[in-house]
Amino acid sequence: MSFPLILTERMTAHPADSHRLDRYEATGGYQTLREALGSMKPEDILEQVKAANIQGRGGAAFPAGIKWGFLAPAEPRYLVINADESEPGTFKDRQLLERDPHQLLEGTILTAFCIGANHAFIYIRGEYPKPARRVQQAVEAAYDTGYLGQNILGSGFDLDVTVHLGGGAYICGEETALLNSLEGQRGEPRLKPPFPAVEGLYAKPTIVNNVETISNIPWIVANGGDAYAAIGDVDSVGTRMFSLSGHVVKPGNYEVPMGLTWRELIYEVGGGIREDRELKCWVPGGASAPWFVAEHLDTKVTKDDCARAGSMLGSGAVIVMDETTNVVAAAHRIVKFFSHESCGQCTPCREGTTWLERILWRLLNGAGRPSDIDLLLDICDGISPGLAWPPRMTTICPLGPSAVSPITSIMTHFRDEVEAMIPGLQEVAHA
Amino acid sequence: MSAASVIADWSAPNQERARRLLETYPEKRSAVMPLLYLASLEHGYLTSAGMTQVAQLTGLTSAQVQSVASFYTMFKRDHVGRYLISVCTSISCYLLGADDVLAAVETETTARDGTTSVDGTFSVEHVECIGACGGAPAVQVNYELVEGVLPEKATALCKWLREASPDVVMTDAMQESYGGVRSFDWGIGEEQGAIAPVPAFEPYGSTSRESAR
Amino acid sequence: MPERPPPEMVTITIDGREVEVPQGEYVIKVAEDLGTYIPRFCYHPRMTPVGLCRMCLVEVETPRGRLLTTACNTPVAPEMIVDTESAVVQKAQEGILEFLLINHPLDCPVCDKGGECPLQDQTVAYGPGESRFVEEKRHFEKPIPLSDIVLMDRERCILCARCTRFSEEVSGDPLIEFVGRGNQTHVITFPDEPFASYFSGNTVEICPVGALTAKPYRFKARPWDLEAIESVSMVDASGASISIETSQNEVVRINGIDNDATNHGWLSDKDRFIFQSINSDNRLTEPLVRDDAGNLQPTSWGEALDRVADALGSVRGDEVAAIGGANNTNEEAFALGKFLRSVVMTPHIDAQVGDALNPDFLAGITPRAEIRDLDRAATILVWAGDLKEEFPTLYLRVRRAVTQMGAKLVVVHPRRTGLDDLAAAKITYRPGEGPEVVRKLAAGADTDYAAARELLTAGSVTALIGLTGRAEDPRLAEVVAAYAVDLPGAKVLPLARRGNVFGALDMGLAPTLLPGRVPVTSESGRAELESHWGPLPDAVGRDAAAILAGLAEGEVKVLLLVGADPVRDGRNPDSARAALVAADFVVSLDMFLNDSNQHAAVVLPVDGFAETEGTVTNVEGRVQKVNRIVPGPGQSRALWSILDELAARMGGHLGAGDGAAIAKEIALVAPAYRSMTWDRLEWGPERDGVVMPDGPGTQELQYTPDGGGVRSTAGRLALHSGRVLYDAGTRNIQSPALAALVPDPAVYLHPRDASALALTDSQVVDVTGEFGAVRLPVRIDATLAEGSAYVPANLDSTWMLGVPDVVTIEASSAEEVAE
Repeated sequence: MSFPLILTERMTAHPADSHRLDRYEATGGYQTLREALGSMKPEDILEQVKAANIQGRGGAAFPAGIKWGFLAPAEPRYLVINADESEPGTFKDRQLLERDPHQLLEGTILTAFCIGANHAFIYIRGEYPKPARRVQQAVEAAYDTGYLGQNILGSGFDLDVTVHLGGGAYICGEETALLNSLEGQRGEPRLKPPFPAVEGLYAKPTIVNNVETISNIPWIVANGGDAYAAIGDVDSVGTRMFSLSGHVVKPGNYEVPMGLTWRELIYEVGGGIREDRELKCWVPGGASAPWFVAEHLDTKVTKDDCARAGSMLGSGAVIVMDETTNVVAAAHRIVKFFSHESCGQCTPCREGTTWLERILWRLLNGAGRPSDIDLLLDICDGISPGLAWPPRMTTICPLGPSAVSPITSIMTHFRDEVEAMIPGLQEVAHA
Repeated sequence: MSAASVIADWSAPNQERARRLLETYPEKRSAVMPLLYLASLEHGYLTSAGMTQVAQLTGLTSAQVQSVASFYTMFKRDHVGRYLISVCTSISCYLLGADDVLAAVETETTARDGTTSVDGTFSVEHVECIGACGGAPAVQVNYELVEGVLPEKATALCKWLREASPDVVMTDAMQESYGGVRSFDWGIGEEQGAIAPVPAFEPYGSTSRESAR
Repeated sequence: MPERPPPEMVTITIDGREVEVPQGEYVIKVAEDLGTYIPRFCYHPRMTPVGLCRMCLVEVETPRGRLLTTACNTPVAPEMIVDTESAVVQKAQEGILEFLLINHPLDCPVCDKGGECPLQDQTVAYGPGESRFVEEKRHFEKPIPLSDIVLMDRERCILCARCTRFSEEVSGDPLIEFVGRGNQTHVITFPDEPFASYFSGNTVEICPVGALTAKPYRFKARPWDLEAIESVSMVDASGASISIETSQNEVVRINGIDNDATNHGWLSDKDRFIFQSINSDNRLTEPLVRDDAGNLQPTSWGEALDRVADALGSVRGDEVAAIGGANNTNEEAFALGKFLRSVVMTPHIDAQVGDALNPDFLAGITPRAEIRDLDRAATILVWAGDLKEEFPTLYLRVRRAVTQMGAKLVVVHPRRTGLDDLAAAKITYRPGEGPEVVRKLAAGADTDYAAARELLTAGSVTALIGLTGRAEDPRLAEVVAAYAVDLPGAKVLPLARRGNVFGALDMGLAPTLLPGRVPVTSESGRAELESHWGPLPDAVGRDAAAILAGLAEGEVKVLLLVGADPVRDGRNPDSARAALVAADFVVSLDMFLNDSNQHAAVVLPVDGFAETEGTVTNVEGRVQKVNRIVPGPGQSRALWSILDELAARMGGHLGAGDGAAIAKEIALVAPAYRSMTWDRLEWGPERDGVVMPDGPGTQELQYTPDGGGVRSTAGRLALHSGRVLYDAGTRNIQSPALAALVPDPAVYLHPRDASALALTDSQVVDVTGEFGAVRLPVRIDATLAEGSAYVPANLDSTWMLGVPDVVTIEASSAEEVAE
């Protein structure tokens, strides 16, 4: 594999101090900003980002350039960086925040310049105090050096950046919930439309992008959108940060080009399964994603290939489970997560995720009933009608359907293991 | 009532921080969550009086502030021990034995999950994913992270907290002594950390010292 | 009224039917108008849709396939294809209901909502047969009081956010909120901060389950035992539409009705719970006459009416006068006016006690605004009493106009009002200095009021004008109106407070007016009326103050009090009492004994609200129907029938045998009401009421106050006697739910005045004015105009102060206010 490290080159080469301004500048940092503010117009940057065809790295994979193009003309406009990384299995943004905050800031300034925003917010989850401190230090250093504030680098462009900490709520990773939270409200997702690009923060046009997405912007502006689009696969371009966790030999974040196979990602990049055990299944894109099993090992790691196989790349979190895993217990853990994180405003998610969690708990404790399998699937159907992928939803946001994924996964791939947990069921089935 | 008189019982630096936070955002209401952290720091946890102060500062009703605060897990509306031990039990940590870590922490601290030890030293909680899955199982002390914490290490960590009774808990120092596998290379360490069960962040007055450049 | 452009129509298909519907309307509303009811819980037509309950899911064809979406927040668009009953939709709705029920206690047999519960109804219609939920249900402490009125049972709550949205969006006092997250979410107040909203009862009414209940109705009746009738609230003159509900001949509940012209379905808690007063044990149930020992004793109607007829017959017609009638129907007011002018032959009639606003201003201002004009106004001027205290449902309309329709608000008042938070400009002035404020605003130079002036000259202005307080010179309203009518696009809504004061004036219960807004001084108008009624007195009569003065001087000898209490409501309690004592004969027609009719020779029990049928007229001149659903208590009788019988005893003929007959006569003789019939108001498109065409005012509004406009207070403080919603008025006091809410009395002082007088908060002081003195604790109030003292009107220990222009304040020797 030969490809440029777009996001992690600096922290790989200079692991000790990649977060510091002097190191950032010494390795070419803020040069792109200097040149862009001197010679580019906002629309030139938009053109490059569109050409790069970079898909949002937060989970929804919406092309960033198209999103920015939707921005309504009203003023003021805001840029919000979504650093509320909370999807179980995901820890890539934490590394980008902690180890290269200036790269994110340079991307933030370029993006704000492009979309005409004079105030950007970096919303970092409250459980990330160290990454927040690193970003705050970077922001202060950037103000001191003239990369932020009034008349940045003599360009006439002004930008303030505010680092804002969340309060412990996964749902705030959903962009409209994040905006509510940033406004000082409960982090409940909004009905869409209107989309944030039209009515976002304080009902003003707002772009919300993920940390990884924005961290790519300096490279794209410096090297051109076409260069970026040339990396990776046809529909899924560029590199991506994958967070490997669970029963792999080498857990961690890996920046790789799109288009590897899952086998390559798990066995070569991740070093295979611990203690030479067999792979049982993995969650390919964060806890919301339907699981893959051995038959998917040669599927390509792209948005479209995964969608065809019934799942998604989501937030890039790969959670690997070996042959010893109790999949019902694992599914329960994930459903419990979503039940705990449901904002509670809409009925099917609030009631349905909790009901699912309690039935699974009952199953795990030997109190399953023969009717529970149908009941579980029927509750799932009430949240995500038809149990199709991508999911249809009776809910306001995709959190509810996320709790359905692990259940349909175990029912599809490990139904016998579920049945085996229910007293009396297999006897009945075999009678 | 003027902002200053509303929070006359807060420390002077925190009054100043509150003033700055209220000016930072285009609309005052956005300062609610930062101010809730400040109020928690001032009173040890988020008291009713603290919520009312934040309401008065931001022009909301106390009921609105309570509604916001209660949505988030990190605004503790009940007494919290000196050290808040948060054990991640979400899927990746679970797969690598998080339940055993939680049990070890409960045993050593004598505080059951969701409670505070009788002497007020520890509060223990299981939490959902804290973004340390590559360094599972993971634990936070006053939101300062330690990765790769196997049960024995967790026990030792709690013992140290009780015996050394540090005024500041620092993620890098704890990782060095009690951590294991990390999600990534942390680089050079920093010498600051949390002074209370509130995320340590300079604008919220909760770090041990001015941030190093 | 400017024509609104008709909405653009689009063609959509609902359940296979192709229909033309207004663009932008929500699917749920469009479907309902077509007869397709999409089930719902959180949707409320008067609040922003939130799509929370998900019950109204429908399928919509999109280029991306059939999309499940909520009908409550999906606007129709051209060519839209909606399926409200597909298999997917039905399954989804069944699923939602099951989800809502798993944690619901299903305690319908003991739930007040049972029988009128949307959750119960929809469960019957769409729900599962039996529960598949075998886990333990969610538990909360059973009903806990959120306030003195409202209780919350969180186990029943389905978290539709109707109540919290109402509080935040409609009434603007978000005291109940969601607390917690996910499955633990519940609705509650902040500890020790009760749901003390003037509008809390609305949340009970719109709660789609039995989670919120109101004490006055709890366990009182089952919905299937209720009888209901539409009517209009008479708590104030805004004309809020209501449903009066009874069980076993007793009024047990009042709910709001959505009248687009007035209240949008919302009520104040006073509108909602005042019905308790008509059930009061203290109601008068039989005629009373004063015996030789001076005590009021029960007697027969015959005896009582003989006494009254004798008294009326023993003096000249113009030695008789009447005060009151502003809380009666138009028909009752009309009968009263006709009785006094044509049978008794007196011109001394005044429905306004203490307020004394010029009837020409109230009934004749042009151009007169409708409440709806608020929605179209660029700027709203409120120079009147605190609307939140005096006109709560109108307050909600102003709130809506500002928060949702983009109007800018200018408030002029001596202290903070409930609208101040929404005001783009606020002018605070000392009572007495109002004319000076008008002069400065009109002069266009004073920088003090630049912001207000800019707003008032920027676009179409709707001005709400009344008295800011009782100590204000009543003619200030005319000065303000004269200024306001010249503002761009100006319309004026004149505000007077009592329930049907506008109707009473329109029926001629004013010294200057004959029925139908005809001036007494109009020869042709009077001649026209005389052609129906025979000869009438041609003089302009005495107003209430002059009537009381006339009693004291012996020029007026016999007084009728019709639901009036001049001792409490006048400017000078002692002199009012002295006048009543000096009178030869006082007859009171009332529902209760009060401070005035204690001095009457005869007290007659009359039917009141919900006991009488007729019409009322609101601030806009909108006529609406009020209805009778219960009989009056004991021997109480309708006002017109009493008057009819009195007339007969006096050898006259009133022709007021029943309300419907009077209504026909009004249409015949009162020019402004010529087209009015009960039928029009009961059926068809005019059920929201009909605004009677406004005639031009009979006087030019050119009054200029003398003395340079500013009264010298010579070191004393100007009194601001503002009204509060829950004052110690009879009907409040006779309604237990409201009586509990009467605030503690106090005198409010600006901090600088307090400090000049060396007074501190809570200190007890003697407040002394021209007419009396009261002892009150001090409250420091920085929102009050400097140089004034605010004393809430008509609280138990404030009314004896009367309404002097100025007061002196001195520290009291007493440590505490006597109970």
